[in-house]
Amino acid sequence: MRGFVRNRVVRRVASTVGTLFGVAVLVFVMLRAIPGDQITAGLGTEAAGLTPAQLQALERYYGLDQPLVTQFFTWLGNLFTGNLGYSARNQQSVLELTLHSLPVTVELAVLSIVLALLIGVPLGTLAASRAGSPRDAAGQIVSLAGLSIPSFLLATTLLSVLSASFGFNPNGRAFATPAEDPLLNLQQMILPALVLGFGIAAPILRTTRAAVLEVRSEDFVRTARAKGVPERRLQVRHVLGNALVPIVTMTGLQFGYLLGGAVVVEQIFSVPGIGRQVLLGIQQKEYAVVQSTVLVIALAFVLVNLLTDALYRIVDPRVRAS
Amino acid sequence: MPRGRLSAIGVTSALVIALAGCSSSSGSPAGTGPAAGKTLVVGVTSDPDTFFPWKATQFTAVNVLQNLYGTLTEFDKDLNVVPGLAESWKTSDDGRKLTLKLRQGVTFGDGSAFDSEDVKWSLDQIMAPATAAVARASLSSVKSVTAPDPSTVVLELTGPDAALPANLATVNLAMLSTGATEAELSTRPNGTGPFTLRSRTASQSITLARNDRWWGADKPKVSAIEFRVIPDESSIVAAMQSGNVQLTVLNDPLVARTAQAAGVGLTRTPQLNYHVLQLNARRGELADVNVRLAIQCAIDRKQVLDTAALGEGEVVGPITSPAFKSDPARRPCPARDLAKAAEYLGKAGKSGGVTLKTIVSQGEYATSVNEAQNLKAQLAEAKINLELEVLESGAYVDRWNAADFDAAVALNGGRPDPDGSYGRYFTSGGNFNRVAGYSSPELDKLFADGKATTDQAARKAIYDQVSAHLEDNAVWIWLFSGYTYTATTAGVRGFVPMANGSLQYLRTTSAG
Amino acid sequence: MTALARRSPAGVAGVVVLVLLAVVAVLSYLGLLPYDPVAQHPASRFLGPSGAHLFGTDQFGRDVFSRVAAGVGNSALIAVVAVAFATVVGTLGGLVAGFYRGFADGAIGGVTNVLFAFPPLLLALSLASVLARDWFTVAVAIAIVYVPIFIRVTRGPVLSLREIEYVKAAVATGQSRFQIMVRHVLPNIASIVVIQVALSLSWAVLTEASLSFLGLGTPPPAPSLGSMIFEARSLVFVAPWTLIAPGAVVVLLVVGLNLLGDGLRDTLDPRNRGRH
Repeated sequence: MRGFVRNRVVRRVASTVGTLFGVAVLVFVMLRAIPGDQITAGLGTEAAGLTPAQLQALERYYGLDQPLVTQFFTWLGNLFTGNLGYSARNQQSVLELTLHSLPVTVELAVLSIVLALLIGVPLGTLAASRAGSPRDAAGQIVSLAGLSIPSFLLATTLLSVLSASFGFNPNGRAFATPAEDPLLNLQQMILPALVLGFGIAAPILRTTRAAVLEVRSEDFVRTARAKGVPERRLQVRHVLGNALVPIVTMTGLQFGYLLGGAVVVEQIFSVPGIGRQVLLGIQQKEYAVVQSTVLVIALAFVLVNLLTDALYRIVDPRVRAS
Repeated sequence: MPRGRLSAIGVTSALVIALAGCSSSSGSPAGTGPAAGKTLVVGVTSDPDTFFPWKATQFTAVNVLQNLYGTLTEFDKDLNVVPGLAESWKTSDDGRKLTLKLRQGVTFGDGSAFDSEDVKWSLDQIMAPATAAVARASLSSVKSVTAPDPSTVVLELTGPDAALPANLATVNLAMLSTGATEAELSTRPNGTGPFTLRSRTASQSITLARNDRWWGADKPKVSAIEFRVIPDESSIVAAMQSGNVQLTVLNDPLVARTAQAAGVGLTRTPQLNYHVLQLNARRGELADVNVRLAIQCAIDRKQVLDTAALGEGEVVGPITSPAFKSDPARRPCPARDLAKAAEYLGKAGKSGGVTLKTIVSQGEYATSVNEAQNLKAQLAEAKINLELEVLESGAYVDRWNAADFDAAVALNGGRPDPDGSYGRYFTSGGNFNRVAGYSSPELDKLFADGKATTDQAARKAIYDQVSAHLEDNAVWIWLFSGYTYTATTAGVRGFVPMANGSLQYLRTTSAG
Repeated sequence: MTALARRSPAGVAGVVVLVLLAVVAVLSYLGLLPYDPVAQHPASRFLGPSGAHLFGTDQFGRDVFSRVAAGVGNSALIAVVAVAFATVVGTLGGLVAGFYRGFADGAIGGVTNVLFAFPPLLLALSLASVLARDWFTVAVAIAIVYVPIFIRVTRGPVLSLREIEYVKAAVATGQSRFQIMVRHVLPNIASIVVIQVALSLSWAVLTEASLSFLGLGTPPPAPSLGSMIFEARSLVFVAPWTLIAPGAVVVLLVVGLNLLGDGLRDTLDPRNRGRH
């Protein structure tokens, strides 16, 4: 039994490492396939005026004169010593940058998920409580809206309406971390979280509705009802409790995507998160920044999946029992 | 289910600003906050990509650094060359020696004194290839630099260079203290400018503090300037409406129109930058001047301006600098003339039409794709087919730099001195000549004459000839020049926008 | 279709919306639009909606209705090609991985994991800027992002089908593995794939819009809904119709596809049978 568990863990770790290595190779190759390098990204068309000697000096300065294989393994080797590279533009190490931007994105992702759950789970349960009824239709309309309205649309609308009509635009002020000014930080996070949360609420609502419908038709619920368990208790304890598994899975999946996919909303609301760090890195062709940050995002994504699996084991009564 | 993996991406700005607009006509909320503390908040879309003045070309970088560093000469608001760190300068009679008298009592941010050794060191470094300074070519006529005494610098020239004083005014030729390195300056800028760096949060903000030891007669009015990074231009407009940002410069005429409709006050400033259809006269069918002239005659420039930029700008000739301005009416076909275009094509033996590979950047500047679409539509009527390649800006820059195009839709930087603007493009030895795709002995001679002449009226006459040569040979197709739009909230006074886009007058600006 | 009509009125609504849009798109392919969608008439710039120009004209004097119609056609073409590609490659990958297990499963699973963990923005951006810019490239870029989804969706059911008695029986009768896969496994996952296709189409339309919006989609002057929104986004105050028309049609198209996807799921998904 213990050998089996150890075997499982070893395999899981091996596959995670394999995935991360794949991501590392892919990001390295893709970045170099995109036209332009750090020199032309910085100087633009002015780079055309450089003499060959100047160009050589710059290539040496940015380390672009090294063979690609050397560049790759130097980067990978440095990662193991905790050196994620250096951003000349920011005058900071990528590690420092990430230590600032990752918590911001995680906070945004957590808030968005919380809002999405607050919208999705009650509406989904309500919709399932009488399938085909007006309340079901209402739930469907909410989820359809969430699925069909692009987030950029919602984001700019909210921002423009609130700042033009009410002068409310916390995101126009300098960004505050929770440690500096928790109240301002919350104000700055609430609009982007709402936009992201609304989009994610749709799949959560649908999953909840489907799961609740599924569970309700199962024997143990009928048995419980026959035994005279009160309806409210039945709904919450038995039905929702057992419907949790797919909801948790869906939530974990969405959370994973938020870590790398909140770029647009971060951009519109000037939230200094990790998505913007990647985007700026791409624009400036700061290879080390993009490579290491993408790897951090991939790692976070994998970890969230592992965590979801673990959570899944905790909430699923069937898995728990066995 | 990973829905919206991609739909969540991308996509800034908005459909429904329309909705916002309808409700935004009501009053503008009063700005509170930083204005009271005499800190001016300037909205910018990106933070500087470098803090090293000799390599800065990006808009924000140039403008931040300009407030931190000093140059030997400066421009006033009308782009006349005025003293900077050099109090006065004199050219020897044979034009081969420029002697500069330096301002006394100037110090760097770290308190050390500025003197002629710093000037000599700076200029020597800029001229050394290993430094990779972008404005090295501006000093191409400088043979050597000597510092006979602490307040005097002498530049030995290979020949007369009337454009040199104006060229010295760029922040790319800023004076650094002897021995300063790029690495040091990147974390601790050390200049002679009206402000010093107070703090920086990567990708979020840069705060400058007033330099009380600055040499100017009037010290800066505000105690600090914060450049706040707000990546989306319409978000900057929103931040101005709520009073969180007090000054910004917009480039996109469409966004400016939107901001204006939303009640933000704007000032238009004509720019030296010009929109142009660059032709590569060294390639294929464009080598024939008649084909180029056909293109020249087939375009209604006003129509390009009206459709691509909502008419925000003016049709221009090659030289946009006020003192040397070309007359756009003096070109082979001042008005669109399709009959003449057909005639030129016939002379070239191409009555059947020609096809040109044309590169267009998406994202470099707002109106590029629109200009390309209109040019394509207009030229199609003259049997000239523009095969548009719309490229992401990195790819565009690569192709442009390699001169790998027949035609390129471009927005090029104009400079106050025409030699600074075009010498590098159209003299056969110029460092951009490969991209310009054209040179001729006549032009080489005209540019040499222009450099050797100091009399203003005589220089103007020479550059008029340059302009005429460029247009008569349809070297490029000059289109129009746009505006920048300075937006300020109530209470911001004293800012003077400049035609070269400079924010140097932040030093005279007061915040409420 | 009758099953759909019986089970899902929403699905029927989706079909109606899509048929309407398809008619318009077909008209544009046949060249039956009132105006040439790319012809410029600078004299009639920024005309508001009227009888002559249903949705008005844009800053080049082009007819917005004709452009939207052609845009629906282009967006649909890209979405269909992208999803077709993702379906074929993804389903095949899922089948092979789930049915053959072993090395194939490991390799395909590895690639899927990598693609999933990779930020999609970077993936799409790189693909779109590396390859030559035309509508087909855009379709391929979108397809590659969606291939792993199809692999995931099909592999699980194939795995369980493999253990089902009649498949085992087929193995016992000596049919080749390929025959079994095609004859017995594929038909059984067809409904799952069909549902996924309908949902993916709506994502693909949004993705194409997003890419065009980022300036990485269909190159101008060919109209696509995303690039029309991109071009018109700053014209809101000057000519709101240039923005509202393509914006509304994108949302309409996506809503239609989502409704159809829901309807198909309600109708085809075995887990939903016998309910309602």
